[in-house]
Amino acid sequence: MARRGSPARLVIALSVAALLAVFLLYTSIAGGGTPVVQPSELTGQSGRVQLSGKVIGPIVGSARSAAGARFRLRDVEGSATVRVLYRGSVPDQFQSGRHVYLQGALRHGLFVAKPGSLVTKCPSKYTAKKS
Amino acid sequence: MPELGRAALVIALGLAVYACVAGGYAAWARRRRLAVSAQSALLAAFASTAVAALVLVAALARRDLSFAYVAEHSSRKLPLAYALSAFWGGQEGSLLLWLLVLTGFAAAAVALGRRAGQDIIAWVVPVLGGVAAFFAFVLVAVASPFATQPAPAEGAGMVPSLQNPYMLAHPPLLYLGYVGLTVPWAFAMGALLAGRTDERWIVATRRWTLAAWAFLGVGQLLGAKWAYEEVGWGGYYAWDPVENAALMPWLAATAFLHSVMIQEKRGMLKVWNVVLVSLAFCLALFGTFLTRSGVVNSIHSFTQSSIGPWFLAFIVIAVVVSVVLIFVRLPLLRSQVRIESLVSREATFLYNNLLLVALCLTVLWGVVYPLLSEAVRGQSLTVGPPFYNFFLRSFGLPLLLLMGIGPLIAWRRASLRALGRTFAWPLGVALIAGVMLLAAGAGSSIPGLVAYTFAVFVLASIAFEFVRGTRARRALGAPSWPSAFGALVAHNRRRYGGYVVHAAIVLLAIGIVGSSAYQTVGERALRPGQSMRVGDVTLAYRGLTERTAANASELRAHVDVIRDGRMVARVEPGKNSYPVERTTSNEMAIHTDWLRAQDVDVIADEINPTSGVVFFRVLVKPLVNLIWLAGLVFVGGALIALWPDAREERRLALRYESAAAGAPVAPPA
Repeated sequence: MARRGSPARLVIALSVAALLAVFLLYTSIAGGGTPVVQPSELTGQSGRVQLSGKVIGPIVGSARSAAGARFRLRDVEGSATVRVLYRGSVPDQFQSGRHVYLQGALRHGLFVAKPGSLVTKCPSKYTAKKS
Repeated sequence: MPELGRAALVIALGLAVYACVAGGYAAWARRRRLAVSAQSALLAAFASTAVAALVLVAALARRDLSFAYVAEHSSRKLPLAYALSAFWGGQEGSLLLWLLVLTGFAAAAVALGRRAGQDIIAWVVPVLGGVAAFFAFVLVAVASPFATQPAPAEGAGMVPSLQNPYMLAHPPLLYLGYVGLTVPWAFAMGALLAGRTDERWIVATRRWTLAAWAFLGVGQLLGAKWAYEEVGWGGYYAWDPVENAALMPWLAATAFLHSVMIQEKRGMLKVWNVVLVSLAFCLALFGTFLTRSGVVNSIHSFTQSSIGPWFLAFIVIAVVVSVVLIFVRLPLLRSQVRIESLVSREATFLYNNLLLVALCLTVLWGVVYPLLSEAVRGQSLTVGPPFYNFFLRSFGLPLLLLMGIGPLIAWRRASLRALGRTFAWPLGVALIAGVMLLAAGAGSSIPGLVAYTFAVFVLASIAFEFVRGTRARRALGAPSWPSAFGALVAHNRRRYGGYVVHAAIVLLAIGIVGSSAYQTVGERALRPGQSMRVGDVTLAYRGLTERTAANASELRAHVDVIRDGRMVARVEPGKNSYPVERTTSNEMAIHTDWLRAQDVDVIADEINPTSGVVFFRVLVKPLVNLIWLAGLVFVGGALIALWPDAREERRLALRYESAAAGAPVAPPA
């Protein structure tokens, strides 16, 4: 039997959509995401960033000691580098040559990472086909 | 041998293209024999893909390093089970697995989906053929698992963290889920192409959808278990894009599984259902794309891959096809029936759907945000766990509550008096539980307390339903209470299996809340003989030992776990070194207290073999084991719901025979 249309569904959907839009706008733009940068993009960045790069050279010191671990991070495909100071837990795969992420901020030319923020990328499985 | 594999894939491609093109023409021109041949082509494509798969399996089993794929993902020293699991460990192999499962499911779904009607099946075949053709094309032309090379002395091996039993099952189960979602989508598109907008395509694919959804759910849980035990950070879900890639289609499929009940029962939400199933399928493709393209930074990925653009193009095609078909058939999809009351089961299911889709889209937003922000602002921005956790709480808590309300509320319209009668008992139990939890100290986390209270409400509602139904069966003459209970479940497996699944989700919620909101963490460097206290346990470090395993050397710290002055366990956290892979893995030790459903996770974060000093990180996680128990309950509930029901089959056959004879298919009242 044909029934007169009910606005219930439309009202509900619009209300939720509006709520979601406000939430998302507020937290994602006003609330702010964290910039993702590589060492070459650090200049001019104030505040906390997510730094991505490849570990090059030796890793000096222990991340669990008061002095922390020091190493250099380089652009994944590039030559710009930055010195990094990190304290906290160290994932399995962390070693020279690995691609890592850290959160932190640049302080007088030294990237001081947030403790415990070091994450390594799994070695690539889905690589491009070799020619 | 590789030539056989390559040839098999080329044949599979040809057969899939035939199924798509010939099947499409047959459906359009109503050529029955041609349609049957297209259907047979799907089955033949499965057989050909199986041959290709067997070639790869044989190469992996033999450690034939002349296969580039085997050399890149395996080694001579790798134990056989892990060597075989390399099948899905890399790009090409995982795509082959996709195609194998897809062609197998396609052939089976078409053969078993006769109830949908020949007119729908005729269109389903070319849709499935088209999807299979895409994957076969990628395997033949872009990412072949049968590239060869001069065999090196040793393979690259497998990442040590993947050498774990859960990793044997996690990827194949996820693929069964991703690929399984192709079937309901193909039937939806087939129904639209055939101009059939009743619920026949839903009924024909109901078990496929449920099975795919269950595989995805269990696959994700196994992944979480792997992350918890193997990765060694004491957590199980990090909101990484690759993790989210499986969560998004699962959320969309959850919404779909609920809203189809409305269409079956009341003939409503037809447009919504085809939109949802399309969303679930496209998100499954998107998830596959995410893990291969490198477009989004993830700890799990994966450099820029050549198949990214192909996948993106295919996703665009799938989205466009879905949208165009829905738009063209919109007049047929419009329902004459409307929701009568905002307080009804239909409305509750709708709220549930909106929340699930909102959560799904929130996760999607978080995943693509870095891409969008870079495109709009020129700067890539990322959001992390605080973003996701905020929305999980915001949408998850109401969802939890609705799980308790939905099953008990009446269809069409519920009166306040009826609501009071129905919910008095569960509400009373929940309020008492809430007060007791508050007194026990759960108020340290308000969201946690609210979640626990809602969880008790849902469990009470489920128990109420079982008790009410069993009483009714007993009153109808069942000889005993157990037989009344058995008859209750047997006569409506879908409903009561669904309640069991709801109970599993509640257990999951309790486990997640307990292990995150109420966990205790401690960190300290210890020498042999020293101890530390975390929560209600003391960890006493005794010393280090080293031993050699099949493909690794293992360094272990011996730690006694002491509670109430009594040693309850000795655990051995440490590190493994893998010479072939030239890498180290962290081996977390877990002491499980089953009575408390609590874990004590001990991580040897840093070991100095010379001095014997170890930096320990210890997490005491209450109720975490309810998460894994939830997985078992989830599987049980899904099996109950999936179990064939001869009575229901007869009823449906009768209903659709009447339709075939000319009577319209009307939903039950």
